[in-house]
Amino acid sequence: MTWTLVLALSAIAYVFKVTGLVIVGGRQLPAVVNRCLGLIPAALVSALIVNSTLGGDDGMVFDARAIGVAAAILVAARRAPLVVVIVTGAAITALARAAGIAV
Amino acid sequence: MSEARTSARPEWGTLIGICLTFFAIGVTVNVLVYEHVGSAVKTIAAAGIVLSATSELAYIAVRDVGGSILAALIAGWVVASRFGLLAASLGTRIKVGHLQRSCAALNCLDPNVGVAMQQTTPSGVMSAFWWVTGALHLGWWCGTFAGVFLGNIIGDANRLGLDAVFPALLLAIIANLLRQRPGFVAAIIGGGLCAALLPIAPAGTPIILSLTGAVVALRVPESQVAKP
Repeated sequence: MTWTLVLALSAIAYVFKVTGLVIVGGRQLPAVVNRCLGLIPAALVSALIVNSTLGGDDGMVFDARAIGVAAAILVAARRAPLVVVIVTGAAITALARAAGIAV
Repeated sequence: MSEARTSARPEWGTLIGICLTFFAIGVTVNVLVYEHVGSAVKTIAAAGIVLSATSELAYIAVRDVGGSILAALIAGWVVASRFGLLAASLGTRIKVGHLQRSCAALNCLDPNVGVAMQQTTPSGVMSAFWWVTGALHLGWWCGTFAGVFLGNIIGDANRLGLDAVFPALLLAIIANLLRQRPGFVAAIIGGGLCAALLPIAPAGTPIILSLTGAVVALRVPESQVAKP
């Protein structure tokens, strides 16, 4: 990764962010667009959860992460604090790996 | 994150959790980036300039399977395009000048927007955003330096389950959104679509197409609230 690539990778990301917040976000938008923008974090973040739980070099993989995140879902559903959800996810994943389950 | 946030500053437990999570992400991602880049300076610079672990990982993933530099860059850009949507989402909820808006834009990431959007007032949104931004930067930078300079000592970070920390954090952050029916529908459709497309679509594309969930959820009346 050269300096040019580092800058190229970041430049477009900055353009996206500034366009979203400074240009689009500064305008008065129709109610339906506002409501849609309010729902974007739920849709995007859940996709990111799926991607970082099941994503692998060959597309989709089911490994110890899935077991750990499933445990984290159960804990989050019981309204556990954020730290407990995170620690549960990591600990169950580590235990599953140590036990050789879905490594 | 067990209750809807009404105060400007998130609980200390939440901030510490986000800080520790980004420490873990900083370690795991930058050990990997350092292996590929082979330069501590470039790795640290990329961590600061790109400021997107998922974009860096998308780039590396495409290069690892023999993809061209352009294909790898496009994968990184596609993954990063979600930040623009998150930024637009945040932009509708804040009332600040262009300077602060621009600074916020550059720092728009998943956790700070996720927490900020659960606030009820524009000042609360901005305050929560900056508190979480500070926590994640602290963790990210400590993790970056630890990953670059102590990577050999730490060894395989995934052995400790650190690769599950990021999805677990995101899950905890959107837990409150999932308790409202429109948010739940958006999340189920977005996540389901991502899972369906993951084996077939190019890196980053499933995440962007998950936006369909937000559009479909518009049909769910806001008054319907799922039981806790």
